[in-house]
Amino acid sequence: MDYRAHREAFERENLARHALTHCNLCPRRCGVDRTAGEKGYCGLDDLVRCFREMLYSGEESELVPSHQIHFAGCNLRCEFCVVAEWNEQPYAAREMNVEDMVKKIAYRRSQGAKTLNLLGGEPAVSLHGILELLGCIDPKITVVWNSNMYYNDIVDKLMVGLADIYLADLKCGNAGCAENLLGAKDYVAVARQNILKAGKHAYVIVRHLIMPGHNECCLKPTLTWLAENIPEVKLSLRGNYIPPAEAVSAPRRYLKEEELQCAKDMAQSMGLKLIE
Amino acid sequence: MKNKPYKRKPGDFEIRILKNGRVVMITPDETLLEVAQIVEPNSSVLPAKNGDKGKCRKLNQ
Repeated sequence: MDYRAHREAFERENLARHALTHCNLCPRRCGVDRTAGEKGYCGLDDLVRCFREMLYSGEESELVPSHQIHFAGCNLRCEFCVVAEWNEQPYAAREMNVEDMVKKIAYRRSQGAKTLNLLGGEPAVSLHGILELLGCIDPKITVVWNSNMYYNDIVDKLMVGLADIYLADLKCGNAGCAENLLGAKDYVAVARQNILKAGKHAYVIVRHLIMPGHNECCLKPTLTWLAENIPEVKLSLRGNYIPPAEAVSAPRRYLKEEELQCAKDMAQSMGLKLIE
Repeated sequence: MKNKPYKRKPGDFEIRILKNGRVVMITPDETLLEVAQIVEPNSSVLPAKNGDKGKCRKLNQ
């Protein structure tokens, strides 16, 4: 974390809280007053809720062991989401107690956590609570913003200097698939712009979940965009797609090993830097 | 038996046993991860190879 940004964390928290009074944190622009108990698309009022914190070694190798804090609530409705239950009913998760969480962060560091990994749901919709938390922890901690990157400028501005690493989960490669699979037609355009912005002030790793059968419409356009715009970025291709029990648009099968290899070959042929 | 698949509720964990014997844990917590390590020390987060049988693999996003 940048020390100056760390000192400003509580001031930034106030700005984020003010944004909740007519919520415009994400492109949904619900406009509800979350401080008055109203809930927007993400299902959250102004209480920040966490459904899990754990030490995890399944993230990209340079980040692990990583202390994951899962914030409930999301601004997307991915049909294949593996924590959909927490995003559809975020109020089922416990309210975060900042003091307790600070102790857990210290404990996880003593267990060997290399990074503090903020994820969801989508952390952006809990921005005010995250800023408060970051203001209370040791600024030497390496913070990972593990996000779908679907948020408005205010989030990027208030996180400058606080997140060391953006683990940008860039899904889909066109508006049609984003609308059908994520429930957000403008997702790809917004997320790509936010990745470019993040790259100006932080270290970025782009993660792309390979969807079975979505090579031409999603994988290829994503790799092409990366190669043309940020060819130096580290790319993590994820082969762990899990078909939902019930699907309307989402693929109904697991990815095959050869499909993952094919995707990696395609990325390498475009000169992209793959990481595991 | 219900006709529709069970829909996870907050607090539930889902473990799938696939036709090829592969075991998939969906977003396991620490306890389930420990169980997976005991059952299959070489478990991973990567997709199984074709014909892979009896491996316990964790899938988390």
